[in-house]
Amino acid sequence: MNDNIILEMEKAAEIIMAPPNLVSNEQRHLAENIFLDFRKSKSPYGICRDILEKSQNHYVLFEAAEVLKGAIIREWSFLFENDKTSLRQYLFQYIISKTLPSFVRDRILQVIAIMVKRASIDDGGRERANILKEVENLIVNAEPHKKVLGCNILSNLMQEYATTVKSTDVGLPWEVHFKAKKQFEATDLKRIFQFCIYLLSEVVKNDPPYSNTLLELSGHLLKITETVLAWGYVSPILPKRLIGIYESVHEADSAPALKLTASWADIILNPDLLPLMFQIYWKLRDFDQLAHHSINCLVQLASLNGGILPTDEARMKYLHAYLMAFFNLISNITIKNKECLGISNIVKKLIIFFIHDILKLPDSMKDTLLDEFTRITCHFCDGATIEEAQGAEDKFFTDAFDNMLDAWTTILQEFAQSYLENKFSECAKQVFNKYIQCHLAPPDGCRKNNGEVEDIEDNEDNDRSKFKDQLQVIGMFGRVVPGHALPVLFKLLEDRTDKFVNHLQAMQTRAMNIQEAEALDNLFEDLHWIILVSGHILCMDSDGETPMIPSEIMQYSIDQHNRRESTLNATMNAIIAVGSKIALPDNFEHCDHIIRIVFNVMKLCTIEDYAASVNLAQFMSPEVGSSIMWFLKRWCLSYLLPVENYYQELSPTLIGCLGKDTDGSKLVVSFVLSKIQSNLYHFQSEPILLRDTVELFCDIVCVKQKSSSHVVKTESMRNLIKLFADLQPGTLPPNIIRGLCKGFVLAGTALYSRNNHGDNQSTMNEYYELILMPLQQRFKSVLGQENFTRICHQEKVQKIVIDLLESFIGIAKGSAMPSSTTLFHFLAPILSELPVFITVYNNYQVIVQLILELFGQCAKYMLCYLSPFDSKRLYESSLATVQAYAKCNQGRLTNESFAEESSFQDLALILDLLTFILSKDCFDFCPISNDEVTVAASDVSLFGLNFIMPLMTMDLLKYPSLCAQYYRLLVLINDIYPEKICNLPSDLLNTLLRSVELGLTNFGSDIVQACLDFVQGMATYIFRHNLTESQFGQAIRPFLKTVIDLTLSHQINTDLTSSASTCIYALMCCFQEDYKMLIQSLIQMQTDPMTAERLAAAFNNLVLNVDMTCDRLPKLKFRDNFDKFIANVHGFLLVK
Amino acid sequence: MADNLEDTHFDTGDSGASATYPMQCSALRKNGFVMLKSRPCKIVEMSTSKTGKHGHAKVHLVGIDIFSGKKYEDICPSTHNMDVPHVKREDYQLTDISDDDYLSLMSDNGELREDLKVPDGEVGSQLRLEHGNGKDILCTVLKSCGEEVVIAVKTNTALDK
Repeated sequence: MNDNIILEMEKAAEIIMAPPNLVSNEQRHLAENIFLDFRKSKSPYGICRDILEKSQNHYVLFEAAEVLKGAIIREWSFLFENDKTSLRQYLFQYIISKTLPSFVRDRILQVIAIMVKRASIDDGGRERANILKEVENLIVNAEPHKKVLGCNILSNLMQEYATTVKSTDVGLPWEVHFKAKKQFEATDLKRIFQFCIYLLSEVVKNDPPYSNTLLELSGHLLKITETVLAWGYVSPILPKRLIGIYESVHEADSAPALKLTASWADIILNPDLLPLMFQIYWKLRDFDQLAHHSINCLVQLASLNGGILPTDEARMKYLHAYLMAFFNLISNITIKNKECLGISNIVKKLIIFFIHDILKLPDSMKDTLLDEFTRITCHFCDGATIEEAQGAEDKFFTDAFDNMLDAWTTILQEFAQSYLENKFSECAKQVFNKYIQCHLAPPDGCRKNNGEVEDIEDNEDNDRSKFKDQLQVIGMFGRVVPGHALPVLFKLLEDRTDKFVNHLQAMQTRAMNIQEAEALDNLFEDLHWIILVSGHILCMDSDGETPMIPSEIMQYSIDQHNRRESTLNATMNAIIAVGSKIALPDNFEHCDHIIRIVFNVMKLCTIEDYAASVNLAQFMSPEVGSSIMWFLKRWCLSYLLPVENYYQELSPTLIGCLGKDTDGSKLVVSFVLSKIQSNLYHFQSEPILLRDTVELFCDIVCVKQKSSSHVVKTESMRNLIKLFADLQPGTLPPNIIRGLCKGFVLAGTALYSRNNHGDNQSTMNEYYELILMPLQQRFKSVLGQENFTRICHQEKVQKIVIDLLESFIGIAKGSAMPSSTTLFHFLAPILSELPVFITVYNNYQVIVQLILELFGQCAKYMLCYLSPFDSKRLYESSLATVQAYAKCNQGRLTNESFAEESSFQDLALILDLLTFILSKDCFDFCPISNDEVTVAASDVSLFGLNFIMPLMTMDLLKYPSLCAQYYRLLVLINDIYPEKICNLPSDLLNTLLRSVELGLTNFGSDIVQACLDFVQGMATYIFRHNLTESQFGQAIRPFLKTVIDLTLSHQINTDLTSSASTCIYALMCCFQEDYKMLIQSLIQMQTDPMTAERLAAAFNNLVLNVDMTCDRLPKLKFRDNFDKFIANVHGFLLVK
Repeated sequence: MADNLEDTHFDTGDSGASATYPMQCSALRKNGFVMLKSRPCKIVEMSTSKTGKHGHAKVHLVGIDIFSGKKYEDICPSTHNMDVPHVKREDYQLTDISDDDYLSLMSDNGELREDLKVPDGEVGSQLRLEHGNGKDILCTVLKSCGEEVVIAVKTNTALDK
């Protein structure tokens, strides 16, 4: 009879594998069903054996293995010991004796591995030891292809034990998996390692060439060795969740460090092991595949730590042995691109795990180490330059160089205290010079051009962000040797600037030829990189910290002063010279080197402006312009008006030029502001340059708050305000208007914070009047025109409206604690007009969206500082606007293509607004006031949601960002105010719950998570307040069945099982009767009595000792039970 | 064809004025309008790039013809001026549909016009249906570059006014 079945399956397999033109859909469907049914068969061992024996069809063989796997997992506990053993032996013999395609063989290997693992849980690994012995025999004695097969068995076995959290598909709870893994580690892992190492040592006793079979075997052995060394020895103290994270990180290909216990000492600390491992690499490095696994072993060994190295002596001894072998290797080879990554990883690991031991090495060894690291760093830097120029896809050298720089950061920090001698400076100089050289054009440098000119998208990262990490470390190198680095940089800057001026002069008289254009391009690139490097040496990144002058640089400036190499006078001359456009300041050689670099950068600014004034702006490089803006921003933040008590010692030159109330600082501020103005005027068509310009503006007005009071008063600032007021509407790109207004507003904040007296409040208000009044008047004059509803469609009116709204958005963005009330009182009357505005302009999307965005930004940046009274004004205007929007768009049908995308954008803005409003309930910095008005922000949010709910269609929810935003808002409201939700009017509640139901099935797992959280929150609330019988309780009720069904039928991602379980628990607490009926019907649905029995037992265990009180502890207990329940049930329950 | 001629003939108000005006490319914005391949388009995508690292910005525009829904693309230096169409979208109250499919529309200030036909597609059928049901209907008329068409309808419900 089996023969017929086999025949039928073979036919079906042919149909499935046939090309689509030969079989109909229906045929294919039938054929698939045959296999789907086959997968559900009970006790299929006989038929599977028959298939394996008789069939030649690989697909059918594969299916047989698959069915065996499923059956064994399901039925393991019911099988007799003898049957298991004979089946395993049979399969073992089967793969040894047959030649099979790898996909079939691997699946059978997996079945064997699962059987071995399951058996080892019952017998403590006795059987496994025997099997390992068999396999070892096979590898040592059998013919070549069987040796490889033996290796495959080992790999599969290890794979089966390696992960515990994700392997619930073999039907065991996680704890058992974990125990099995620990047991395997303790006994057999070491044995496997020793065995492989022994065989490999035999291989490398001879010199190459090696036969292909030997190479193949070595490859397998190395792979196993690598797996042992990269094994995840997880501590049993960790909770499952952390182990799960650990394992998924491990799987994503970042091996954990080699942390071993003392029990490994005899193998790993054997003095022959390290030389042997290096020898293996040395002999196999020409074979790419083998070299890869081999060097990974070396990388792992470089990270050795744990109980195996208990004392400093042990660590030192190991490190010494490792370094000897390592130096021996790298000083005798030319490092190839494919191995550089491995080598850099070795260095990185050594530094991470042994830095303190390295510091204690004898000086000669330390010298060698620094020399060798410097040498390979420079080598990788060269390689990276070539890769960059070739646009190579695999950036081996670049990555290796980055790794080396990573390692250097630690070295620079650790060595700085203890080993700052000539040797170290020498290394720093070499790496610094090499980096500069690699980024300059010949003849000074060795930069290669990419050849053809390509279009570069602006969303691509620029060098500043792309090479940020590199540049930061190069900055550190530079600060180790400022006396070398700074002069190199200013000489280069001066040389390139001179050349640049010569170019400009030539360009004024005649057109450039091709060589000249190319030379100019090279000049720009040089300047760009010199500025980037200078910016990173003079300043450190200061995200979220107070920007300071780096101590090394401060010291250098002090030293210059003390040695009389620099004088305050000469340095001031340079600053004065910039403003007055004098080419070479007096006594320039005595200018402080830091200021000399800044002087050069500022000089570049004046050259740019000059070029623009003689109509050569189109030949300037926006990239260089952006880099200059970036440099000035960075430098001003750190150096301008330094706060004296932040520093132990201050350089008299720096403080004399840039300190509080100095002429120098005023000159610098004026200079920077006028450069901003000129960029806005001359380079309107360069979006990136303008963006960086505006960023500089917003930062310089905030430089150390106290200073901007004079920023505000400078003539340059007045000029800038005037420029802004005089601009024709529609000339500047939208984000630039915002940025400028933000800057203007921020500048005003400084007037207030200087000291908190009423006097300053009024100074601030005066300033704001200056900025805001013209805007307000413009707004009034537009709106106040009698025929406004007629002329509002005119472009020129629209342009003014758009520019005004952009300005208002900028004002909202720039508001801060001291200014927000003043600014809000300015904006409030305008905001209250906007509901009318949005109705008038409802057909003009740009304006609609700006209005919505303006409210969003007000809620985001101002609301948290506003008094209850002002908050209410904002709520009212916001809601009226949302309402007006909804009114204009409800029941509207349009022929326009892109209409859906448009509504998506609008609604996203509204959801933003509602979310920002809601956050008022979490963050409220408003000083307590006695106002009586109290409206909860959540009311406003829900009310708003009410308006837009009818517009949120299923099609719109398909936009992932809108979808996520919507559900996030729901969960947020629910978290803070469940009672608000439960008192919603019933149609709104129903729409809301329907969308939650959709969320459970239609979108990604983050949305499912949100919906589960929502339901859980609701159910908990219902339980605690006895609301099960209320209308609201009844509305939640159906979710019990929904969530249980989804979980049992695998429709909820396994990552979310624990969220689903707590959700089910909360629902169960509310609706216990429903739950009982549900499980009854589930059990009754089972046709097989044994399954029904197991299911019933499983359900029993699920609630064993769990109180239905909806409290935290029983909930956690239920969650753990549920985990086991799911592992158990998924093994035998076949739910559709 | 004859219909078109008639339409232009009755076109009033803006006649004589240019259908477009120039604007610097860099000042254009997403969801705004621009002429691409001589058609009035709504800008649905706007990105900048540059030729070479030290080159100047170019703007890449993707637009959708506001009448036909066809997609057009263009790329131009950001310093250049682009033509921007005057686009007007006004709401009218529907008062009647004539036998030959012309709409009677009334503007906010009570002016009547009868020069637009029932639009094609879903909007057209909705318009007829709701008008047949005696509902209050608001039509949005899109006008640009001499073309004019009812682009959207909205049935006034109790919620409105």
